[in-house]
Amino acid sequence: MSLPQSLRTSITPPELEFIASQQLIEIIPLIAMEKTAFISGAFGPLQPPRRAKIPLWIAINLKLKKKCHIVAPEWLSVEFLQSRLDEELSEPGYSRLPFRYAEVSKVLLDVASDDIQNTDKIRSLLKDLREARQAKSREGLEELNRSELSLSNLSSMEINEIRPFFVHAMGILTHLHRDASTED
Amino acid sequence: MDNDYFSIDAILAENQKVQCKFKQRIPEMGHLGGGSERDITPLNKRQIPIWLAYIIIYSDWADFDIPRPFSNKVRNALRAEPRSVRLSNLVGAGTGWYVFGKTIMDMLGDEQGVEMSEMLVTTFKGRLVDVIDQAQHFAALGPVGGGGGGGIDSAPQMFREGLDTTERELFVLAQESAWRMKKWYEESSGGTKRVS
Repeated sequence: MSLPQSLRTSITPPELEFIASQQLIEIIPLIAMEKTAFISGAFGPLQPPRRAKIPLWIAINLKLKKKCHIVAPEWLSVEFLQSRLDEELSEPGYSRLPFRYAEVSKVLLDVASDDIQNTDKIRSLLKDLREARQAKSREGLEELNRSELSLSNLSSMEINEIRPFFVHAMGILTHLHRDASTED
Repeated sequence: MDNDYFSIDAILAENQKVQCKFKQRIPEMGHLGGGSERDITPLNKRQIPIWLAYIIIYSDWADFDIPRPFSNKVRNALRAEPRSVRLSNLVGAGTGWYVFGKTIMDMLGDEQGVEMSEMLVTTFKGRLVDVIDQAQHFAALGPVGGGGGGGIDSAPQMFREGLDTTERELFVLAQESAWRMKKWYEESSGGTKRVS
């Protein structure tokens, strides 16, 4: 592989953001557009003021040109995130969150903060969620063994963050292990 | 750290010497131990590198003792507190304690081998969490370097200096991924796009 060493271990966060941007999101367009063909499919037509579902990357583009308003997904609200945070803090497993919540939430908060209510509270809730989940990953690290590890409900960004050293550590544990019945 | 022929870690580990006690007389090999004798007589002790000792031991010409980095003294210290032992000092520079341990373990018989494997695994797991913690703390200082902490925290710094080569690799991996995450969270997705 011709990738530099540091990029071989995992995907980079901007790449994950790119992949997450293909998800559909609802917008309120301010301009009209006919049904247009893109590589991934045909979207539109956009007829203000009717809502439409388009990929996130188109939505971001239009928003930056001030040609639409983005409708926040239902999980990006104070009530939902607060209830998930409470669940996170009280239960040992990870709570269920949309798989790409980190990427989508960061992008929407950066681009469309005027379309979302209580952005400060949401930002702080997301940060708390992230830290609570990181603390759980740290505990999971102590349980590491060489054969398997199951952490359900981790989001894609979190998986990507811990994958390099978790996998490497599991490899080392495999090397260091010695069965009583083999050898000699 | 494999049994891979080309693995650099394995080659370096096999260069370490172990103390061997010969059981048979071997003519004209006295120069191996750096001594001045011509032959090796039985019950003679010599320091032999592992890559040579493999064959000698499998052909039953000598026995070897468990080398100093894995002696009982070290074992007890590790059982008491794995994080306080400086693994980088125990074996010479360039080799890891874990890699050397694995090489020795492969040569030992079942019972001692399993004991050794348990010691290695318990030590590794005991130190792992600290390695990762420190790596994430250091993510703030940038992807490379950050070795000099100004001497403010000396206990973590001593732990870092005592890290084995395998642990250092893990440290770098964790540090890089934490740094990448931090960088991504800080940069804005909307600001850099051109607005036409």
